[in-house]
Amino acid sequence: MAEERMVKMSLAEKLGYRKGDLKNFVKYIADDPKQACKDFIYGKEHERRNIGDLYIQPTGLYRHREWRGLKDTLYYFNVIWCYNYGMMVADILSAEKPLRFFQGIWRYRWLGQTYIPVLHWFDRGLEGLRGPALRASAWHYRGMVHATIEQFMRMFARDIRFNGKETELWRKTVLHNETVSGSIFYPFRDGGLVDIPLEMIPYFVTCHVNSNTVLHYIDAIQTLGLPADPCPMCQAEAGVGIMDDYPDSAPCIVTSNEACDASVATSIIQDWFLNRPLYAMPQPMRYDDPLVQKRCQEEIEGAWKFVEEQTGVPFSWESFKKYAELQNEQLYFEREKWDVAARTNNYPINGVAQALYRIYYSQYGWNETWQLLDSRVRKIMENCVANQIDTFPKTRHRVIAWSCAPLYYSNWCTWAYNCWGLNVVINMDSLMFDKDIRTDTYEHALEDLGWYNELAPMRAMAVGGHEHIFKLWDYMEQFNCDMVAMYDQLQCKGMQGIKGMFEDEFRRRGIHAFWLPHALPDKRTVSRKEIRDGISGYMINVMHEEPLDPSLLDFDDDLTW
Amino acid sequence: MIPLHNWDCNCARLGILFLRKGESIHMRDLKNMIKFEDLLLEAHNDLVRQAKEEGKKALGYTCYFMPEVLLNLPGCFSVRLRAPRSASPDMATYYMSGRTCMYGRALMERALEGGFNFLDAQLATETCTVTCRFQEHLQMMPELIDNPDFFCEFTDVPFKKNDISIQHYKDQLQDHVLDVLHDKLGIDISDEAIRKAIEEQNEINRVIREIGEYRKLDNPTITGFEFALCQLVALACPHYLILPMLKETLEDLKTREPDPKPDYRIKVVLAGSENDDPYFVQLIEQCGARVVADRYCYGSLPGRDEIEIREGETALDAVARHYLESSQCTRFMEQHVMRQRKEYLANLVKEYKADGIIIEQMKFCEYWSYERMIDTFVLRRDYGIPVCSIEKEYTNNAVGQLRTRFQAFIESVELKKLQEERGVG
Amino acid sequence: MKLIFKIIRIFAIVYAALFAVFYFDLDGKLLYYVYEPAMCKHYDNIEGRRNIIDIPYEMKDEI
Repeated sequence: MAEERMVKMSLAEKLGYRKGDLKNFVKYIADDPKQACKDFIYGKEHERRNIGDLYIQPTGLYRHREWRGLKDTLYYFNVIWCYNYGMMVADILSAEKPLRFFQGIWRYRWLGQTYIPVLHWFDRGLEGLRGPALRASAWHYRGMVHATIEQFMRMFARDIRFNGKETELWRKTVLHNETVSGSIFYPFRDGGLVDIPLEMIPYFVTCHVNSNTVLHYIDAIQTLGLPADPCPMCQAEAGVGIMDDYPDSAPCIVTSNEACDASVATSIIQDWFLNRPLYAMPQPMRYDDPLVQKRCQEEIEGAWKFVEEQTGVPFSWESFKKYAELQNEQLYFEREKWDVAARTNNYPINGVAQALYRIYYSQYGWNETWQLLDSRVRKIMENCVANQIDTFPKTRHRVIAWSCAPLYYSNWCTWAYNCWGLNVVINMDSLMFDKDIRTDTYEHALEDLGWYNELAPMRAMAVGGHEHIFKLWDYMEQFNCDMVAMYDQLQCKGMQGIKGMFEDEFRRRGIHAFWLPHALPDKRTVSRKEIRDGISGYMINVMHEEPLDPSLLDFDDDLTW
Repeated sequence: MIPLHNWDCNCARLGILFLRKGESIHMRDLKNMIKFEDLLLEAHNDLVRQAKEEGKKALGYTCYFMPEVLLNLPGCFSVRLRAPRSASPDMATYYMSGRTCMYGRALMERALEGGFNFLDAQLATETCTVTCRFQEHLQMMPELIDNPDFFCEFTDVPFKKNDISIQHYKDQLQDHVLDVLHDKLGIDISDEAIRKAIEEQNEINRVIREIGEYRKLDNPTITGFEFALCQLVALACPHYLILPMLKETLEDLKTREPDPKPDYRIKVVLAGSENDDPYFVQLIEQCGARVVADRYCYGSLPGRDEIEIREGETALDAVARHYLESSQCTRFMEQHVMRQRKEYLANLVKEYKADGIIIEQMKFCEYWSYERMIDTFVLRRDYGIPVCSIEKEYTNNAVGQLRTRFQAFIESVELKKLQEERGVG
Repeated sequence: MKLIFKIIRIFAIVYAALFAVFYFDLDGKLLYYVYEPAMCKHYDNIEGRRNIIDIPYEMKDEI
């Protein structure tokens, strides 16, 4: 449908020109110049924005970007658009081997197809935001972009494909499954070891920025005979391998059973195509059983021994201690953020920025960028609290999003706020890794790191015991939420396997909850439009509410990034 | 009772087993087969009823990682849960959605129907997601099992086979199986009691293995279907009641003459995910293959080896080591173990003189979807073994399609054999 | 002084041009209609990739 629509579009339409636009614009100014002037300076009120009119359907491109009032538009242009384009170049120039970027973009689909439209990813996530919410959320995005560039440039600097041989950099690198936290490798960081989450950039990041890229990889693995029903995240990760699209950047890999059966199974494929020493560091499934803790710790120690043997970088307690303490500081700030989000209307970070930033930095482990950006966000947040700024003034419902989110439509919460006033205050992924690491003794540190590792995404609250999944009710209360956005990842066996119990509990507790079906990275299974229709249907038919911005009710963005 | 909906099953009983024109069954009937078929028609079968009436506690489980031997301590008996004659699991689909493995849903449906009300406890493992979810429902919904004293206890099972994992597994079995059985059901869990249970388990394992050995003959004197019945009754019935019957079958087998002219065209190893349906094995055999080895969940390989208590080991040490080391489950993540699994399958083909492998995967089983894919490549490429790779449901509701696949596979292998015999390259 | 005005003028023109690119999403349109299709064509035709199913699958030592 969408493809046919594209074929029929004229060039003018593709560029966003509509007959009568200019005439309407002139009429708008002539009819009420005072109002037009006000709109120019302050931006339109929420109900008059008609954000949906800005799209070139079905591409998701803008006929023109949103006018947010003079101050916010200039902020967006200068401090977000220009600054981030500039910083993307700067990040590449300051990397180990800057020219590798061009080799990388030429060789790797996941980079070439994804990296360039990054600013559109900002646009989608920050749509409709104003003031401190725009600023704080954008800083989170900036952090993610920086970390992404750092990681892929590291991969390319070590890539045997480009170097033609094993280098010293390559030898001192360890790959790890993206679901293994970077914190595991703190003891080696000061010794010069670089740890790279293997699938984080080639798979995870691409889904958010350009949802088309991953489809190629999913199709690739299925052509080899993998059925279409296992978790598509794992399918895509395996697909990148099958297409020989992982840079050959380290002598060994540490893998994990996190999050689910399919992740375990993906290790079989990874082992095959990497054909390198592989250390499995599984987390116990019944992770909160006191009996399993020792084993979890021994597995971490096993991984440390493996890294030492494979890379020659020695274990350093001082290095671990240093980074663990910095990580703790970062976690304290995260908890402060949660506290503001839970108790006030002054929290300046929107749902998508909150969720993605938390996942990014937890998986990478501590890094200076996070510290720098957190200090900026802290200033904004403190200012909001001090001046009692209502950051999302059109909030009708405070929503908690539960289970695993659609990667191709992580910005659904931006749409939900703009269209319906649904403010996603917190989400399940953000609440994981909530564990300080004591650094007074090695034993304490190891014990806490074991726990930290067990509180990884999905282990703690999706697969790993129903008790944890149902912590939803406690968090709902804690974050003062009146509604649940229940993600329905169609191929997540863990969550599908307990769906009826959620339905029963929602009814029993009288909770308003809407289901949000999706297929993690694969937009073909459930389109973004279908996701929106489901939410709108609930808001109209069950909540009997009117949309804040009706232009966002029905539009086609099937072919968007 | 003859299940009217199962036409294949009735045909088997009446001895009209899809014979090709001009063929007849030569092997005489094997003792107890009809009895075994009857026992497998429901989880709460006659022997389970009898054991319950004798005051024994029925302990349900779903996975090899819940050691059968520990559930057969004095005063209790194990029942590996099945949901035979399942139709559409509509109620379970509400709870577990239609996108999960049908084995888990069929068990859930059976529980909702009251089919597991005889259970006194469920000893659960979180070894694959959907069976875990089914068992969590048993925990969360007390109304599901109509027995006020019923409980469900989970054991964490490691993903590796190293010493740390064995110790971990042992701790789990002590805490979540033995101590619980002792505290809640008053079962004797002393080392002596476990040793005795091991002896009894070894005896049943020995009998099953001996029966299975007849599959290794050039012209096997037992069909895959018959063997599947023996293996499944051993899992689904109280050991002390089924063992005498299995011994009778073994005795009978010793004097059973094979068909002078085999009624199969090729021999295959059946490997893959959960399969507790003997009629699936029968379906393969009806297409012209003889299933000579069963490496799948509920199969006998490698689960029927004897448990050896080594010097210095407690009985529980031996149990933990045995079940972890012997398993060929696809959830093991160590690199050498992942790779060795393929070699194990290739060795089975050699040992059982099979001509090919059928890899089956229950739809929505994530472990086996990947394993099946890689097995299909590696076994063919590195070991030269013909592979038939199929996806199936818990109930045999796609019989026509499966039959076509099997027939095509058998023909291709047969053709290859003929070409080899004639020296055609 | 003249130079300063010149620089300011150039800066203003560049700034205005960039703003036009930004406001009318010209960067997005260029990438969407031109860059991405061209690159996809390129990636589809990359030669010399390892065929994954040719990679050996030999036994490994216990780690």
